[in-house]
Formats: sequence, structure tokens, C-alpha cells
Amino acid sequence: MKFILMMNARKADWDEYAKWSKEDLQRNVAFMRAFSKELKDSGVFVATEALGWPSEAKIVRAGSNGEPITDGVFPESKEFLAGYWIVDAESPEEAYKIAARVSAGPGRGGESGNMPIEVRPVLGSHADLGL
Amino acid sequence: MKYILLMSGTKPGVQSYVAWTQQDRDAHMAVLQNITRELTTSGEFVATQGLASPQEAKVVRGERGGMPVTDGVFPESKEFLLGYWIVDVGTPERACAIAGRISTAPGPGGVPTNMPIEVRAFASHPERKA
Repeated sequence: MKFILMMNARKADWDEYAKWSKEDLQRNVAFMRAFSKELKDSGVFVATEALGWPSEAKIVRAGSNGEPITDGVFPESKEFLAGYWIVDAESPEEAYKIAARVSAGPGRGGESGNMPIEVRPVLGSHADLGL
Repeated sequence: MKYILLMSGTKPGVQSYVAWTQQDRDAHMAVLQNITRELTTSGEFVATQGLASPQEAKVVRGERGGMPVTDGVFPESKEFLLGYWIVDVGTPERACAIAGRISTAPGPGGVPTNMPIEVRAFASHPERKA
């Protein structure tokens, strides 16, 4: 079963992250690299990506002639996807355990970041929606 | 340059989709499948994925006694990711144009859904501003 593990954050959280010391950032990045390697070694790894800053995000809607209408104004409360992992786990419980490992990754001063990680099954096909 | 196009919606939005007629859903999916084919032909396609219903979503925070702490209670206003497309394009404008096409996919009665599509660069861009 494939699951996506999503790390979301608000703009204020990103601003906070930008202020971390180099040491804190390096510790966090080292953890993420070791974590990806562990997932690969254990055979559950499918994909991972980190996303660019919310300041570069745009919302696109189609105009009346199908032309893209872009907007980059978001409410302060909006959650942005910071990055994700797709894992092929035996069960939802195994996916939750993997998510907890990410959540426990080091934050400022080496303390656990305790970031919330959203865990969702990935659709094999549209039929999985039961439609 | 790689971009991810994110389609999100709230629980009531997902429920209204489930209430569409089969014909409306088929027309919607046909347009999305067509877009995927076009992107594959143009060499811009990287990946696409639909996600399961928000009812199955959980949020995990840390561990207690070696077990993950899960929560599945979300506010009605929470936006859930419905699906995404990853494209490898020449410019941000091209990524937005593709997102615009996705937004025109038909809804009930063939009227475009006009769904908002969030366009985001991947963090690996050398040209990305910190």
C-alpha cells in the first residue's frame, strides 16, 4: 500500500525556519538524509521532494477563455506543503510509524521539531474512490 | 525546471464530487487523461497521483512509548490535497498555463470546475531565491 507523508507549514513557520542557525539547519538536513537512506535500505522508499518557498507559490484558475489567471496572495493561516515522502508500507500503522520518525526530527537547538505529518493513502486508480 | 501543481479541496468539496453523475465524472477524467497524454508527448510529464478520500487522512506527531501519536480530527475548513502533477517545463509561465488547463476540466453539466491549482517550484532550483 502506498502512502504519502506530507509536511505542511504556515508562512510564519517558514520565516522561523529561515532564522535557524547553520548548525541547526545542518543537523536537520543530516537527519533527513539519513532518514531517506534508511527508507531506501528497508525497501519502502518510493519518492521524496522538498518544495520551494511559499513566496514563490501561485494559485492558478482558468479564465473565461481558458487563459491562466494567477494569484499569489494567500491568507496568513494557509498551510503550504513543505515536502513529502511516498512510501510503500505494509499497513497504515507502519506508515504512521515512519511519519512519527520524521516528526521527531531535530529542530532548533537539536530538540524534536514535533512537526505534524499528514498521512494519506495514495490512489492506485480512480476506482479506489469507490465511484 | 520542475514544478508541482497541487489540486486541493475541503471535505464538503470532496462530498459534492462524489455526488456528480457518472457521466460528469467520466467527462472530467477524460480531459485530465488527455492533459497527461499531451504532457507525455511534449516531454514535460514527470508524475501525477490522485489521493484517497480525506476520511482516511491522519496527522502524526512524535511518539509516545515508541508508538506514533495519530489524530484524524480536522476542522471543516482544512484543505486536503486531492492530487498533483509534477511537470518539467522551461518557464514558470508554462507551469501556470498547464495549471490553467487543469482548472478548465469540466464539472457537472460540462461547466469548467475552475478549481484553484497551486503551482510550486521544487526546492532544488539553483535560481530559487531564499
